Amino acid sequence: MIELEHVVKTYQRDDGTPVPALRNISCRIAAGEFVTVRGASGSGKSSLLNILGCLDTPTSGAYRLAGEDVSAYTDKERSGVRARRIGFVFQAFNLLPRTTAAENVEVPALYSGGAVDRGKALDLLKRVGLAERSDHFVTELSGGEQQRVAIARALMNDPPLLLADEPTGNLDSAVGDSIMELLTDLNREGLTIVLVTHDERVASYAARELVIRDGVLASDRLQRAREAAHVVG
Amino acid sequence: MSWAKTLSLALRTLRRNPLRSLFMLLGVAVGIASLIAMASVGEATRRETLQQFKRMVGTFDRISVQPGSARTRGMPSLTSVEPTLRFEDADAIAAEIPNVRRVSREQSAFDIDVQARERTATTSIWGISAEWMEIRGDDVTVGRGISPEDVVTLARVAVIGEDLRRQLFPDEDPIGKIIRIAEVPFTVQGVLVPRGAGPGGASLDNLLLLPVSTASKRLFSRDYLTTITVQLQDPEQYERAVAAITALLRERHGIVPPVEDNFTVSNPRAAMEQVEAVDTTLSAVLIGVAVIATLIGGVVIMSLMLIAVSERRREIGVRRALGATRTDVLRQFLVEAALISTLGGIVGVILGVAVAVVAAFQQQLPPAFLWGAMGGAVALATVVGLVFGLQPAWRAAQVDPIQALRS
Repeated sequence: MIELEHVVKTYQRDDGTPVPALRNISCRIAAGEFVTVRGASGSGKSSLLNILGCLDTPTSGAYRLAGEDVSAYTDKERSGVRARRIGFVFQAFNLLPRTTAAENVEVPALYSGGAVDRGKALDLLKRVGLAERSDHFVTELSGGEQQRVAIARALMNDPPLLLADEPTGNLDSAVGDSIMELLTDLNREGLTIVLVTHDERVASYAARELVIRDGVLASDRLQRAREAAHVVG
Repeated sequence: MSWAKTLSLALRTLRRNPLRSLFMLLGVAVGIASLIAMASVGEATRRETLQQFKRMVGTFDRISVQPGSARTRGMPSLTSVEPTLRFEDADAIAAEIPNVRRVSREQSAFDIDVQARERTATTSIWGISAEWMEIRGDDVTVGRGISPEDVVTLARVAVIGEDLRRQLFPDEDPIGKIIRIAEVPFTVQGVLVPRGAGPGGASLDNLLLLPVSTASKRLFSRDYLTTITVQLQDPEQYERAVAAITALLRERHGIVPPVEDNFTVSNPRAAMEQVEAVDTTLSAVLIGVAVIATLIGGVVIMSLMLIAVSERRREIGVRRALGATRTDVLRQFLVEAALISTLGGIVGVILGVAVAVVAAFQQQLPPAFLWGAMGGAVALATVVGLVFGLQPAWRAAQVDPIQALRS
């Protein structure tokens, strides 16, 4: 699903001095995996996430997503890749204000070229346990509910890959656990998930953990994933 | 993203931000309303002026020929004109000029004292041929007008205007009564339908009509005319007719340019065009002011859209992350601006028409509904929205999703 080869990302300060964010990252993530990327603030994990999410391009190196080399794609081409292949879940939920749950879920369909399917949006809301909330405005939903809407939204275009950036960071631990359980279930159904976090507890849900430090991959190990079903409550 | 989706998204956004939408809408509506109000009121006034002009001169199918050069001013009277225009000239025009429907011969004299028994009045006297009343569209309220037989038989008959009737016959039937002009008795045989006031405010109803032959032979003893009025079959061909009449009369009078003509051919249309030109200049200035007001509406849209773009940076970032291209974002904001501006235009048209109707009601004029201007105003509003929405939309499209999502 994901192949990174010698990916380097270097930013330029205003005075022209280069700031390395990613020094040399190579790794492969297979379809159906659930991988966490853990690292401290400033470690380069956000830069990696931006590249994985096709929001940014590597300074050098190659990024292949589902067999497609997207490292040199134009802004417009990357928009297309984001619409069709990637679902995003953010720490701050990032639902659109003054918009209902169902309307939020529909947003990606606006940009994928197909028709906007309200029935599918409702099915997805049902899938995340919010069938009754579809007509509620975002401000009427709790944090956990908002994140569930965001997950439904990420699935709207049936992307093979879901990128989650600290999805439980703004939630208390019980609600966070239920979100992690939902993600685990989605992974079991075949969705590839890459989850960025600084939280070891959250990272423990995944079968594989990458640790990034100072822009390099410090560790890449398989672990015994937590049994989601046992954590509820 | 398709246009239909963009449009429904824009509509939803505008609906869910009612206050901002209202201000943008009003910004444009005020300008468009003033535009429509100015144009409609101007047009109503212009139509009224035209109407008054028509009341004075009749329809525009007429050309009048008068003695003297074009520098001669005022209404031609027997005492003031050169004796150059002959009955034969009128006959020649009737016989030789194509596209001529009717020709009337006139001898007019002003400030003539007339008497009916002990009452006296001062009026203008028009010796006319029978065509005159038809050309002017005049009719009688009682009795009958001047007929061709009256002209042939040199009948001593008169048709009087309403003002004269009121002065000479305040409480009696004027038909059959005698009016004396310079001691010559004339029998009243009709009263004209009142025409009301002319453009100058003076009454058009203080007049007395006689057969032109009677006037010439029995009253004034003059054999020249003060006016020949020519009515055309096809008013659109008036320029050609004016040229033909001018050529004919030059030939008959033995005039070779550069010798000045001893007659003047004029037509009401030319005068009307001058009146219209003045009106148009005034309207253009007013409409210019209204266009500027509309542009200010555009500036309102631009500033509110710019504020909206900075408020909605996060939304833009989210949409970009979810697959929106820069073009999608640009289009979304542009369509919002154009849509609210168009709606503002429609509201403005409605307001403007309302103002124009109230103004017309106050001036007691029929209101003018300028459908073309209304359509044009809405189109203008759309263009204003597109033009002034472009810069904010461009700025929205440039938002970097990574930075927008980080904040």
